Amino acid sequence: MDPATIASNFDRIVDDALFWVTDHAAFLFDGLRLGFEGFYGAAFWALGGSPWYVTMILLGLAGWRLIGAGAGLAIAAGLAVCAFMGLWSETMSTFALVLSATFLALLVALPIGILAGFNPLLNRAVEPVLDLIQTMPPYIYLLPAIALLGFGPATALAATLIVAMPPAIRLTALGISRTPAEFLELGKSLGMRRGQMFLKIRLPFAVPSIMAGINQTLMMAFGMVVIAGIVGSGGLGQTIYDAIRTLDIAKSIDAAIAIVILTMVIDRLTQSMAQRKGSGA
Amino acid sequence: MTTGSMNAGEILLDCQSAWKIFGTRAPAAMDAVQRRNLGKREVLQEFDCVVGVSDASFQVGRGEIFCIMGLSGSGKSTLIRMLNRLIEPTSGQIKVKGRDIGAMSEPDLRELRAKHMAMVFQSVALLPNRTVLENAAFGLEVRGLPKAERNQTAKAALAKVGLADWMERYPGELSGGMQQRVGLARALTSDPEIILMDEPFSALDPLIRRQLQDEFRQLTKELGKSAIFITHDLDEAIRIGDRIAIMKDGVIIQTGTAEELILNPADDYVAEFVAGISKLHLIKAHSVMIPPAEFQREHPGVGLESLPLTSPDTDIDGLIELMVGHRSAGLAVVEAGQIAGVVTPTSLLLGVKGSQASETGGH
Repeated sequence: MDPATIASNFDRIVDDALFWVTDHAAFLFDGLRLGFEGFYGAAFWALGGSPWYVTMILLGLAGWRLIGAGAGLAIAAGLAVCAFMGLWSETMSTFALVLSATFLALLVALPIGILAGFNPLLNRAVEPVLDLIQTMPPYIYLLPAIALLGFGPATALAATLIVAMPPAIRLTALGISRTPAEFLELGKSLGMRRGQMFLKIRLPFAVPSIMAGINQTLMMAFGMVVIAGIVGSGGLGQTIYDAIRTLDIAKSIDAAIAIVILTMVIDRLTQSMAQRKGSGA
Repeated sequence: MTTGSMNAGEILLDCQSAWKIFGTRAPAAMDAVQRRNLGKREVLQEFDCVVGVSDASFQVGRGEIFCIMGLSGSGKSTLIRMLNRLIEPTSGQIKVKGRDIGAMSEPDLRELRAKHMAMVFQSVALLPNRTVLENAAFGLEVRGLPKAERNQTAKAALAKVGLADWMERYPGELSGGMQQRVGLARALTSDPEIILMDEPFSALDPLIRRQLQDEFRQLTKELGKSAIFITHDLDEAIRIGDRIAIMKDGVIIQTGTAEELILNPADDYVAEFVAGISKLHLIKAHSVMIPPAEFQREHPGVGLESLPLTSPDTDIDGLIELMVGHRSAGLAVVEAGQIAGVVTPTSLLLGVKGSQASETGGH
């Protein structure tokens, strides 16, 4: 067999497998799609359901409480800019996608990270998978997602989920595995049970690392959600993709500005939450 | 090996021939050690295993402070961790209050650690996100006691170590000495019979260290606790301990009171260690006195009854004062109404040097 045949055989096997899955597990992916869309819909309703100034004021207040008055004002002003550019609905749609993708990613990543932190063997098995996910170009995940989940936000969510998980898994595992030895000894010398050791010793020491992982996951989700505009995610990603197709440079720059603002808002808010958690005081 | 006199009373902790060999082939190495009497070097060469503690035996009575002194790498930290099974002994038996802890089930062991043996670490290991009070109450929290109750007990313990005004602070706001007091309070909160102290004061400034040593000894005696105290500092061991075990290369070379170690060092290693120690307060009259008959042979004209009297427990410092004050040829040591011996200027000088009076004959 010459190499070309092997390659085309491989391609055919992959295609066949995908078709087989779409044919035979359709109910599964339909369910998944409904679940994802419902989740995203709820987040979008919460953020974009009320008039824009209400959401703006609430997020501004959150910034004021978590960071300070200046940050609160800056957040409110930035969001107002998004609204005045006529991109409010798109901005909130992207925000909803990022939040729901991050939430779902953490739902999977945190338990895996915790288990990997306890079990070096599992960690060694997980590492190469994460390496693979992170080295592949993120577009790759869009195609199978389209095939299985169709065009729309559910696909964007699924692809984003996969891209966003690795940092949370890695940093959670790191945090859990790096409990200072003297505190493990302390726990044992006090007669702690395993569950107590986890909740009272390991987890508190891992919190800063876990929070850093969550923040990273959020940022990864952000990057991917914009790329997922290609598959009809809606939101700012799609605005940019449409602007590129019609060569509408002004529109694409507007959307880019909105993305930068939204990134900064989310990053500042979550980082300050992480610091509050981390310092514990 | 000489074994020092035991305090009369109940034996709380009995460590019988405990071994710890580190390495994947530890059981085989242990077997070989017992069958063929292998040494440390052979075990390393043949089994690639390290002997951490070899054949350590000692007993600690109720209310006794037992110091284990050794330099780094002597195995003292390994030994103390075997006493509550933080490190599993390779061989040997450790009994706490008559129960073999090696045979204990997980729940029994947890109960032993939570209620009967507390540990204080060199690194203190205070949880940075909890207040001093919460840290002191941590052991009771683990045991699931209600908050009001555990805080009350922890407050009492903190008051005992002089930290009543610092309960709402965080460990980071405290000096090293104060942090170590919190560590001690945390150990006292669970009201254990035995406190394991793993070089608790080693990282502190000398002045603070001496202060804590005295406070620790006083507190332990007051509360009637037993303690096993690990240190690399002989001065500390002497200051704190009722008895001292000296460890080297995993072996307990000698166990005894400070006086016994100084007067009868088991080998050159111990002798070298005790050489620099001031004997003024450690050696007592009963160790330096000579028999009355010998005194009378040397001083035929002096009557025993004319000598100033002193007790067997008077230390050298006190004896020198008496001797200088009376300018007499000797001091009569009275025990149970009888003259048990006489301290002469010569025997006193030998005592200052750290030799026993009985050696006088030869010199």
